[in-house]
Amino acid sequence: MNDNSLCSSPQRDRRNQRRATAWSLAWALCFVAVMLGIKKEWLSLGMTLAGVGVTSILGVATLLAYRHFLLETDELRRKIEVDALALAFGVGIVGGMSYWLLAVRGAVPPGDFFYIFLAMFLTHGLGVLFGRRRYS
Amino acid sequence: MKNRLKVLRAERDWSQADLAHRLEVSRQTVNAIETGKYDPSLPLAFRISRVFAQSIEEIFDPGESR
Repeated sequence: MNDNSLCSSPQRDRRNQRRATAWSLAWALCFVAVMLGIKKEWLSLGMTLAGVGVTSILGVATLLAYRHFLLETDELRRKIEVDALALAFGVGIVGGMSYWLLAVRGAVPPGDFFYIFLAMFLTHGLGVLFGRRRYS
Repeated sequence: MKNRLKVLRAERDWSQADLAHRLEVSRQTVNAIETGKYDPSLPLAFRISRVFAQSIEEIFDPGESR
C-alpha cells in the first residue's frame, strides 16, 4: 500500500513548494527572454535552438519539482491541487478549442495561445484558493 | 462519512494540531475530516485507527452521511 500520504510535514511542503516555484519562475523568465530574442531578431538560429532547449529543460524540471511536491504533500492538499489542475485543464481544452474556432474565422490572430495559458494559470490559482476555502 | 474523531481527540485532550502531528498531515486535513468535508484515504484511516487504538469501524460510520 502506498503510504506517501502519511509522510507530509508543513516544513517539507513549504520547501517543496518553494523549489517548484523557483523552477517555474526560471522557466517563465527563460521563456520570455527567448521569446523576446526571437521577436526582436537578436538570436541566430543556433542560439534560438539552444534557448528552446534550455526552456524545455527548465519546463521539465518544473514539472518534476511539482510532481515531487504533489507526491510528498498532505493528501488533502494533493486533492485540492489535483482538482485545481483538472479545472485548469478543462479551461485550457474548452478555451483552446473556442480560440481555435475564432482563429479559423479570423476573429483572433492564429497561433497566439498566450491567453489560453494565462487563463489556465489563473484558473489553477483560483482553484487552489477555492479548494482551500472549501475544506477549511 | 460520519466519524468520532473529534470525540476521541477531546477524550485525549489533544488539539487538532496535536493530532495532525501524530498523523503527519496538516491541521486543515484533521479539521476537514472532523467536519465531514473530507473522507480520508485508506492509509490515513488505518493510521487514525492505530493512533486511537480502535478499529476503523469504531471510528468511522459509512452508513451515515454528514
